[in-house]
Amino acid sequence: MRVNVKGLEVLFPYDYIYPEQYRYMVELKLNLDASQHCLLEMPSGTGKTATILSLFVAYQRANPNTGKLIYCSRTVPEIEKALAELKKLLAYYDKENEKLVSFLGIGLSSRRKLCIHPEVSVSGDGATVDSNCRKLTASWVRAAAEKSSHVPLCNFYEDFERIGKQSPMPSGVYTLEDIKNFGRDHGYCPYFLARYNMAFANVIIYSYHYLLDPKISELVSKELAKESVVVFDEAHNIDNVCIESLSVDISKKTLENSLRSLSKLTEKLSRIKSQDADRLRNEYMRLLEGLKEANINRATDIHMANPVLPDQVLEEAVPGNIRQAEHFIAFLRRFVEYLKTKLDAVERIESHNPKSFLLYLRTEVYIERKPLRFCSERLGSLLRTLELANLDDFTSLGLVTMFATLVGTYDSGFSLIIEPYDDRTPTIRNPILHFSCMDASIAIKPIFDRFRSVVVTSGTLSPLSMYPKILKFKCGSMRSFPMTLSRQSILPMIVTKGDDQLAVSSKFDERADIGVIRNYGLLLIELCKVVPDGIVCFFVSYYYMESIVASWSEHGLLQQILRYKLVFIETQDRAETSLALENYQLACKNGRGAVLFSVARGKVSEGVDFHHECGRAVIMFGIPYVYTENRILRARLDYLRHEFFIEENDFLTFDAMRHAAQCVGRVLRSKTDYGIMIFADKRYSRMDKREKLPLWMQEHLKRNTNLATQDVVNASKVFLRDMAQPFTLVAKKTCQKSLAWDCDSIRRGSVADPECGALAVTRQSSRGRSIS
Amino acid sequence: MVDEEEQKEYRWETGYEKTWEAIKEDDDGFLEASVADIIQRAKRKRQAQKQGNSKLGMMRHLYVILDCSDSMSSQDLKPTRLLCTVKIMENFIEEFFDQNPISQMGIIIMHNKRAEKISDLAGNARKHIKAINNLKQTSLIGEPSLQNSLEMALRALKLLPSHASREILVVMGSLTTCDPGDINTTILNLKSEGVRCSVIGLAAEVHVCRRLANETGGLYNVILDDCHFKDLLYQQVDPPPAALTLESNLIKMGFPHQMSVEGTEEPLTMCMCHVDSTDEGSKLNTGGYYCPQCYSKYCELPVECRACGLTLVSAPHLARSYHHLFPAANYDEITYENQTVICFACQKNFSETDKQVYRCPNCTKIFCINCDIFVHDILHTCPGCATNLSTFQIAHNTTQ
Repeated sequence: MRVNVKGLEVLFPYDYIYPEQYRYMVELKLNLDASQHCLLEMPSGTGKTATILSLFVAYQRANPNTGKLIYCSRTVPEIEKALAELKKLLAYYDKENEKLVSFLGIGLSSRRKLCIHPEVSVSGDGATVDSNCRKLTASWVRAAAEKSSHVPLCNFYEDFERIGKQSPMPSGVYTLEDIKNFGRDHGYCPYFLARYNMAFANVIIYSYHYLLDPKISELVSKELAKESVVVFDEAHNIDNVCIESLSVDISKKTLENSLRSLSKLTEKLSRIKSQDADRLRNEYMRLLEGLKEANINRATDIHMANPVLPDQVLEEAVPGNIRQAEHFIAFLRRFVEYLKTKLDAVERIESHNPKSFLLYLRTEVYIERKPLRFCSERLGSLLRTLELANLDDFTSLGLVTMFATLVGTYDSGFSLIIEPYDDRTPTIRNPILHFSCMDASIAIKPIFDRFRSVVVTSGTLSPLSMYPKILKFKCGSMRSFPMTLSRQSILPMIVTKGDDQLAVSSKFDERADIGVIRNYGLLLIELCKVVPDGIVCFFVSYYYMESIVASWSEHGLLQQILRYKLVFIETQDRAETSLALENYQLACKNGRGAVLFSVARGKVSEGVDFHHECGRAVIMFGIPYVYTENRILRARLDYLRHEFFIEENDFLTFDAMRHAAQCVGRVLRSKTDYGIMIFADKRYSRMDKREKLPLWMQEHLKRNTNLATQDVVNASKVFLRDMAQPFTLVAKKTCQKSLAWDCDSIRRGSVADPECGALAVTRQSSRGRSIS
Repeated sequence: MVDEEEQKEYRWETGYEKTWEAIKEDDDGFLEASVADIIQRAKRKRQAQKQGNSKLGMMRHLYVILDCSDSMSSQDLKPTRLLCTVKIMENFIEEFFDQNPISQMGIIIMHNKRAEKISDLAGNARKHIKAINNLKQTSLIGEPSLQNSLEMALRALKLLPSHASREILVVMGSLTTCDPGDINTTILNLKSEGVRCSVIGLAAEVHVCRRLANETGGLYNVILDDCHFKDLLYQQVDPPPAALTLESNLIKMGFPHQMSVEGTEEPLTMCMCHVDSTDEGSKLNTGGYYCPQCYSKYCELPVECRACGLTLVSAPHLARSYHHLFPAANYDEITYENQTVICFACQKNFSETDKQVYRCPNCTKIFCINCDIFVHDILHTCPGCATNLSTFQIAHNTTQ
């Protein structure tokens, strides 16, 4: 259908459009017009991706000087889904006989996902594939191959370099599988093909990390045009992604590895020195000139800024004491040794800020701040000069230099904590240095600065006002769009007490209370009796889960659960968890029914969808506050209070509530789906917690805010019976009349959105004949 | 018979419904019309779904699988789920044989992870009702096993000739099934054997039941309350459209006759149906139906001859089965604008309260709602068409 969005004709590849999708489009269009950033919340399962893509493609068509759409999502399946959606849209454009002049949509993923080389592609995990690929495709390897024919090369890459670069890819949308097939057919390397063609693509769909992680973004994304629009989908955790991308953990092992790499470098260096001294001299000259080229590029806006490559580095030449390769290696060795002694010496937990750490460095080992700043860049240059293909040997060293650069660059926003042992194993000495970023805005700043519009969107972003603060950007508009449902397909409830009227809570001083544990157990048993197929339970931490499950088992509650459902548990082991998950889904599908115990913030809560039978109910036991005794968190909280004036409690509650919403939100993945959402803690019923839930959940909460177990069971029974009634054609028709707008009703002007005014839509049949 | 007029149970026994939300004032601010409308729509709903013109599986072989597990002792149906089910089931069995006289039924119960056959495939309503009534005393223990009972039903249904329609109806109270193997292979087997499985859930939607029904072409429904339960169960009374795999065959049937020679008393004989049954015992009596092939005597029809395997029916039985094939055409709902003064069937005077009247598409006679329902549920012949020879033929020709 065709929708008129404030004067822009948008082709939407479905027959119906939901009101919230239309509102979303209007909001997005206004923001694109104004070139500002925005924050939009819309529940999952309402077709967010289709909405964004169809609006953008239409917008780009109307305004040809709009840049690309850079659509970032979290996981590979989500990327695939977005690509499929884009493909559908393009097919619809074709069907409607609307020509798009050379439209290219590309998905990008890692080499591991895209490689078609017969040997490299089967070599296992991501890092191995990367390094195997580099061994065949690095520039010096290829130069060597020109001299002797014995050096193996990747034919796909060679063909791509020779022929593939000349001819542009035919327009269309390439999913990851499509681009692999295209590569196979033409003999081109799909990975480099995708990367090369990003420059010409209209829509790029890839993972966050390609944009946020400074190491990857330097390689992949720095040339993206300034006029582009960036969308972060599923962005409720974006601050953590930003922080992680700039945080470094250095353990003894990292340092050992670094020292080993340094020896390797020395060895290689002396060999080269005897054979090819010119090469080193050239490098020296280059370094003397400084990174002028990069500076020019950045100044003229060709390249995106990189937080690990600070401006000072670009303006100055590399300092003399690390310009010579030997000197640099010696410098690094000194730095690594210093860190090592520091780690060895630590008795109690030490906490520094970057400034004090620099002071120590200067007084104890005479390392100045300036050369530190250049470390990361200098190492890259050295590795290039020495023509080392096997880069994964140097990951540890890379980490250390990244740490060096960061600590030399930023005075604030980071904290340095050295712990003598792990929290979980307080008896085993395992010193570790956490250099953690506390300011999410550092990593994301270049993106907000560079691109004309950045859209941050997700199903659960509430409370919205927190994001502009912690990401430090000027937000053009913040909106939360409620979902229109043809039936009440979610049943959120807040359980505050058990049947014995004893309040339940995961509050630290109450959680060990046997009465609370028993009430939680009874709640689960009662629900197991009335809820079919799958139930997912989220606990606040692994530790809490283990203790409560142990207690249930001791008191025979677990045995009662087992009569109705099988029990699966998420553990910290990835393989174990995925096995449990697989069998959980099997048990849900074959009618035995199952309960999955998992942990908020765990793998399950983030990436796994429990649609339809796999999740008929979700129980959130307690409020998933982050572990507040963690020093890194404490440092971050202090920082937030000083820099952003965000009260500690506000941030903790915000963080806990978004995770709780994220957990229970796993249950509803489409409009035909339904599920029960239970928040089991008395604290949820307080207004300050409740109002931080996404609007679409609050709407359905109604009066179910202070229930006991039995009330929940009764409400669930009725709800499940209602939901099991056929979603018949008749019902669909009537609901679509009122909830979704088809073209005719919009054209007739019979639906008027109070906010957007009456809509005017022109519609043509697929044959181009207009129906009046 | 579906007695649409039967009172729902007392108001306070039903679930908590917000009936007032469904009621809207009409233009004049009256509520009555709205209420009447709701009632009418409910009445007509089922028959509107009926469609003629399809090939139907008339010789039905239905296995009813009853859940007798722990979950059936729940009291959300009064007095308990099991007792309520037994009660409704009794009526269903009678209704079933009334409407499908040449069909057979068997009953399997599942409890304690086992399947148990409590009555074999047979065409005798009384036997099944007795078996069902005995269930009231069984203890409800353990979990049900859907797979075991499906397999048991399948073993029996497999042996049936190809022209017979095979059906399974599961009444499932439990939300879980405890199976020894992969139930999906059982579902695939059922599908390939052309067994139509319908499921009625008593609590909530269970994925595997939905899958079972969808794969095998059956219905899956979940009840709201006991009235809804009854409605759903009675849906199963109408024969389903024949599966594609079903062959059309000519079936040999015997029409038994009575052996009475004029002037002489019939000799005292024992009937074959009771000759070896222990609980009722066979009595010597006169009268009965004799198989035209082997002269075995039976006291009830329809039945399959034990001696020679011939299906014995009486002509009225076949005729009764006929109405499924030639249903009376659905009447059109039209608004009442003084088209006629009285209902053609019951001669009732139409009044202001009759907003809608119903017209037969063939004979264009006008009927009131009660007659509409009576004609389609019980009579199966339109009185308007039947009293007029030309339209009578139209009716039959179009539906054939």
